[in-house]
Amino acid sequence: MKSHTAIGIQDLVKYYKGSDTPALNGVSLEVPEGEIFGLLGPNGAGKTTTISILCGILSPNRGSVNILGFDQSRNMQEIRHVIGVVPQDIALYSTLTARENLKFIGNMYGIRGKKLNDRIDECLDLMGLEKSADRQVKTYSGGMKRRINLIAGILHRPKVLFLDEPTVGIDVQSRAVIIDYLKQINQEGATIVYTSHMMQEAEKLCSSIAIIDYGKIIAQGRPAELIGSKAGYTDLENIFLHLTGRHLRDN
Amino acid sequence: MYRLLASIRKELILLARDWAGLSLLFVMPVFLIIVMTLIQDITFRKIDEARLTVIFMDLDQDTLGTSIRRGLQENGFFDLAAPPESGSREENVVRQLVADGEYQIGLVIRQGASERIRERGYAFVRRTMLGEEGVSDSTSLQQAEIILYFDPVIKKSFRESIRTALEVFTTRLESRILYSALSEEMERLMPGMTMPDPAGSGAISIEEIYATNPENEIVPNSVQHNVPAWTIFAMFFIVIPLTGNLVKERESGTGIRLKMMPGNYLHVMGSKVTVYLLVCVLQMVLMFMVGIFLMPFLGMPALNLGAHLPAILLMGLTIGMAATGYGVLIGTVATTHEQAATFGSVSVIILAALGGLWVPVFMMPKLMQSVSDISPLHWGLEGFYRIFLHGEGLSGIWTYALLLSLFFVASMTIGYVYNQIRNTR
Repeated sequence: MKSHTAIGIQDLVKYYKGSDTPALNGVSLEVPEGEIFGLLGPNGAGKTTTISILCGILSPNRGSVNILGFDQSRNMQEIRHVIGVVPQDIALYSTLTARENLKFIGNMYGIRGKKLNDRIDECLDLMGLEKSADRQVKTYSGGMKRRINLIAGILHRPKVLFLDEPTVGIDVQSRAVIIDYLKQINQEGATIVYTSHMMQEAEKLCSSIAIIDYGKIIAQGRPAELIGSKAGYTDLENIFLHLTGRHLRDN
Repeated sequence: MYRLLASIRKELILLARDWAGLSLLFVMPVFLIIVMTLIQDITFRKIDEARLTVIFMDLDQDTLGTSIRRGLQENGFFDLAAPPESGSREENVVRQLVADGEYQIGLVIRQGASERIRERGYAFVRRTMLGEEGVSDSTSLQQAEIILYFDPVIKKSFRESIRTALEVFTTRLESRILYSALSEEMERLMPGMTMPDPAGSGAISIEEIYATNPENEIVPNSVQHNVPAWTIFAMFFIVIPLTGNLVKERESGTGIRLKMMPGNYLHVMGSKVTVYLLVCVLQMVLMFMVGIFLMPFLGMPALNLGAHLPAILLMGLTIGMAATGYGVLIGTVATTHEQAATFGSVSVIILAALGGLWVPVFMMPKLMQSVSDISPLHWGLEGFYRIFLHGEGLSGIWTYALLLSLFFVASMTIGYVYNQIRNTR
C-alpha cells in the first residue's frame, strides 16, 4: 500500500550502548515524495544516526519508520530495493576498479548483463569517470572517490536516496557535478534526504529542511520559511546558529 | 544464488590482488613444510643415519677401551674422533673441546679401567666358588672409571642413548671377564672340562612391526608425519587474511554498504567461506604435491598418499571448513585488524601445540592430553594420521570429519549471533 509520503518517522528514540543520553529523543518527521529534504544539525546532533536507522543499519530503541508504504520493522528487504544510500565514508573496495565495484553492487540489486553495463557506462559518463573506470579506486582523488561513491548509491535508480554529507572535503568542480546530478534525479522523481554542514548548499538545493539538535527536531519548514521566521535573519546559516548556538560541538 | 556468485567473484578478485595475503596462504606454508620436514627428519630416520660425533680418549689402552671403541663404531650411533695429536693426553683436553662446542659429547676411558674390571671379576669368582678367605669383596675394590662430558645444550635423549650404549658394552665385558674367570677355575678344579662359549646364542630376538591396517604398505617417516601435520597448520593460518578481510570490510564502510543492499548474511559469509575453503583445498593440494614431487629432490622420501583419496579429500574439506569458520568467528568478534591478526595467529599456534603438532599427544601430561581433545587441529591431525600412517579410509576418519564439521557450524552460528547482537546496539 503506497502513499504520497515517501518517509514517515514516528517518535524515534535511540540510545547507544554505554550512553545514558539518547542520540535520538523522539524524532518524528514526514517527507513527501519528490522532495529534496535537508537534515541539518551540528556535530553529534543525530543526523547520521537518523540516516543509519532509515537505511536499516541501526535499530531504534523505540519508534517506527515507514518508507514508501513499507513498514521497516517488517519489510526491510523490500525497502532495500527502493532506497539508495551514499554514506559519509567511501564505502567501496579500494583494490577493485570502479567498474568492478559497480558491477558487484549492480548484481546485488539484481541488475545484470547489458542492462547493467549500459547503466554503469551512463553513470560513469555523467560523473566524468568513464576514462578512469578501470582503475582501482585506491588510485582516485578525493573528488573522484566522492563521485563514484554517489554512483554506487544511485546505480539501481532508487526511489528514495539518502546522502550523508556527500560533498564533504571535495573540490568545487566535483561538488557542482554532484549537486547538479542530485537535482536531475530529483526531477526524475527520486526523493532525496540529505545531511550537510554546508548551509548555503542546503539552502539552494533543498525544498524542505529540518534542523536537529541533541536528538530532537528543533525547526522544520521550507528554507525561505525558516529564514523568515525570525526578524533580521537573511540566510540559513544565521538561523542555524541562532537555533543551535555558537558554542563548539564535538561528536 | 546470483548474489552469492557475484559475492564470490568479488572475493576472488580481492584475494587475487592481495599479494601479501596470497604469499601468506601459499608460499609461506611451502617453506614451512619443507623446513619442518627436514628439521624433524632426524627423529624419524634409522638410528644409523643419525650419527653424532664423540671425542674419544682411551687412556686405558686395554680391553675395555678397545671394546668400547669397537662397540661404538659398530653400533652406528656415533662417529668417534680422536683428540688432536699435538694435544696433551690429559682428559681436560676432552673437557675443553666439549666446553668450546667443537663436540657435543666427550668420552674418556681412564687408565687401568680394564684391569679393575678383571680384579673385580676374579675376586667375585674366588669368593663365590672357593669361599677363599682374605679375598677382597668385589664391591670394595676400585671401580673402572669412564667419564662422559656433555655439552649443556645436548638433549637428554642423546645423553641417555650413549649412556645406554656404554652400559651395554661394559656389562658385556664384565660378563665376558666373569665367564673367563669362571672357566679358568672350572679348568683348575676339573681338568679337561671346558665350558661352551655362550656368545651369540641369541636367546631373544626383537622384531619391529607397525601396528596398522594389515593391508597398509605405508612406511612411517618424516614426510608422512610432517607434511600432513604442517598442512593443517598452514590451512588454519587462513584465519589471518580472512579476519583481515572481515575487519577491513567493517572498518572501510563497505560492510555498511553490504548491510544496506539486498542480500543477507548467507551471501556475505557464504562467499567468503566458499572462496577461503577453495584456498584451503588448493593449499592442501599444493602441500601434498610438494611432499610427492619436491621432497625426493631434497633427499627425503616422497609422500605416499595411499589408497584412500576420498578420505583425504573429506579431511581436507572439513579441516578447511573448521579453519574458515574459526576465521569468520574471530573476524566477527575482533574490533581491530591488530586484534584479529594477533589473536588469530597466537590462538592457532596454541591450538597446534595442544593438537600435538609439535609434541605428540601421548607424550603430554595427562591434563594436557585431555585438553588436546578440544583442539580442531588435533582432530585434523588424527584424521590425517589415520590415513597417512595407519592406511585407513573413510571408516577410520568419519568421527574426526564430523567433529570438524560441527566446529564449523558452531563457529558460524556464534559469529552470526554475535553479529546480530552487535547490529542492535
